[in-house]
Amino acid sequence: MKIVVTNNPLVSLKISDTEIDFRNTDLLGVLKCVRDRIHLGHKLLTHPLAGSIKPWETPYRTVLLTAEKSGLDEDSLSVIEYCIEMCNKTIVSKAFYYKRDEKNLSDFQLIDFDLIFGRFS
Amino acid sequence: MKLELGKINIKSVRLGNKTEVKEGILTINEDCIKNLVLEDERIKSVKVEIATPGDKTRITPVKDVIEPRVKVSGAGGMFPGVRTKIDLVGSGRTNVLSGVAVVTCGKIVGFQEGIIDMSGPGADFTPFSQTCNVCLVIEPFDGLTPYDYEEAARNAGLRIAEYIGDTGKDIEPDILEVYETKPLLEAIAEYPDLPKVGYVYMLQTQGLLHDTYVYGVDAKKMVPTILYPTEVMDGAIISGNCVSACDKNTTYHHQNNPIIHDLYERHGKDLNFLGVIITNETVYLADKERSSMWTAKLCKYLGLDAAIISQEGFGNPDTDLIMNCKKIEALGIKTVIVTDEYAGRDGKSQSLADADKAADAVVTGGNANEVILLPPMDKIIGILKYTDKIAGGFDGSLRPDGSIEAEIQVITGSTNELGFNKMTAVGM
Repeated sequence: MKIVVTNNPLVSLKISDTEIDFRNTDLLGVLKCVRDRIHLGHKLLTHPLAGSIKPWETPYRTVLLTAEKSGLDEDSLSVIEYCIEMCNKTIVSKAFYYKRDEKNLSDFQLIDFDLIFGRFS
Repeated sequence: MKLELGKINIKSVRLGNKTEVKEGILTINEDCIKNLVLEDERIKSVKVEIATPGDKTRITPVKDVIEPRVKVSGAGGMFPGVRTKIDLVGSGRTNVLSGVAVVTCGKIVGFQEGIIDMSGPGADFTPFSQTCNVCLVIEPFDGLTPYDYEEAARNAGLRIAEYIGDTGKDIEPDILEVYETKPLLEAIAEYPDLPKVGYVYMLQTQGLLHDTYVYGVDAKKMVPTILYPTEVMDGAIISGNCVSACDKNTTYHHQNNPIIHDLYERHGKDLNFLGVIITNETVYLADKERSSMWTAKLCKYLGLDAAIISQEGFGNPDTDLIMNCKKIEALGIKTVIVTDEYAGRDGKSQSLADADKAADAVVTGGNANEVILLPPMDKIIGILKYTDKIAGGFDGSLRPDGSIEAEIQVITGSTNELGFNKMTAVGM
């Protein structure tokens, strides 16, 4: 069993057979929510920074975790902490240079969706 | 398995009535190319344009680059499992129109994709400023999904590369190169005193616009396996990867992988090149563990003393790269990894998203964050207005005079992680 943590509305629209924790937040907010769940005993199933689209470019992020809770998974914690640290550094420094085009939001949603669910298509 | 590559040197490309090669000049019939591309009912229109080295021309947004080739003898055809029926390629004779590339352009999504400048400072950063490029600017019908558009554009490029490649079938090549890999036990016995070296070829396989195909199979749906190096040279691997222009491997890169080429150069001299292990770069952590475990297992099973590991893309694939490196090294096999860097504009930030002390031999293709000013060009092939939105571009990248200030990651192939470029770094 899986839980999807996401801020991508396309995921909510298309996925009906999996529990979804939709967060109205930015990319970093999703990662912090994932970190909180890891502390509660969930394990990471997908890499939190999948894809070649950089975290300062796309506002969307979808991460899969186990629905079951067990003890704190150190590997998951170390991966998510690293990702948050990386995003904290790069998003702040890049945001100065990079201005997102709102017209591309649906494209960013589609790519984020496909990274996680394309394997099953 | 033995492959002869017959290279036909093409000096120039021009439009004409008939598609043919004569005395080193490739002539192409524009209408024939358009008709072939438009056989795909998903495509509304295609423009065919030629870009020659030294032209004041900018091509963007680039999707794929493909070298035209043709099977002259031996099993299979070009791009097996995609353009031709599935058969084992990598043996017999394949003729190559050397110096020509088919370049596909199209706005599949409103960001990413790359730039090729045929002259000026940007030209030094891409190998495709040195090829005569037959560019296809592909426009889909309204409402076509990005999935279908990507597939249609990918197939159009391969179809035209095949069509142009066919002109070389009966031409005597200028250069004949021969590459051979023997069955494993024979190969090991032939050079018993030389270190046994393999090549771990990581393929980008994360999802839409991040995919690679092997004999037509989406590589994220496979487990690591072994190929003869000549299969790779002969069109077994094609690119569906449209993101991260600087470090994606186009189909041209797969056809001309310099690591495979150089390992063959040294085969029998100071090393024994045994073969290629292809593996994927996935999103699921369990898939990463499985693929890296199997890759390391195959290295051991082949009896390798050393492996070269190349990566495609940046960020999440760094995890796969380091997993491969750690697990192979843990089995007592020396590794060298080939990657690129996102080390910030000043080059002072951490270069890779993952690291390990086992990765103590690293070759870099350059720092993708390095900033470049690309001057305006006289001619644009494709669409320039997306420059602000592609990776490495930023608000104000595209200036009113047509010049572009951006990171070199906007340039196709600039920090390629197969070493198909001129940049590197040396230890101080």
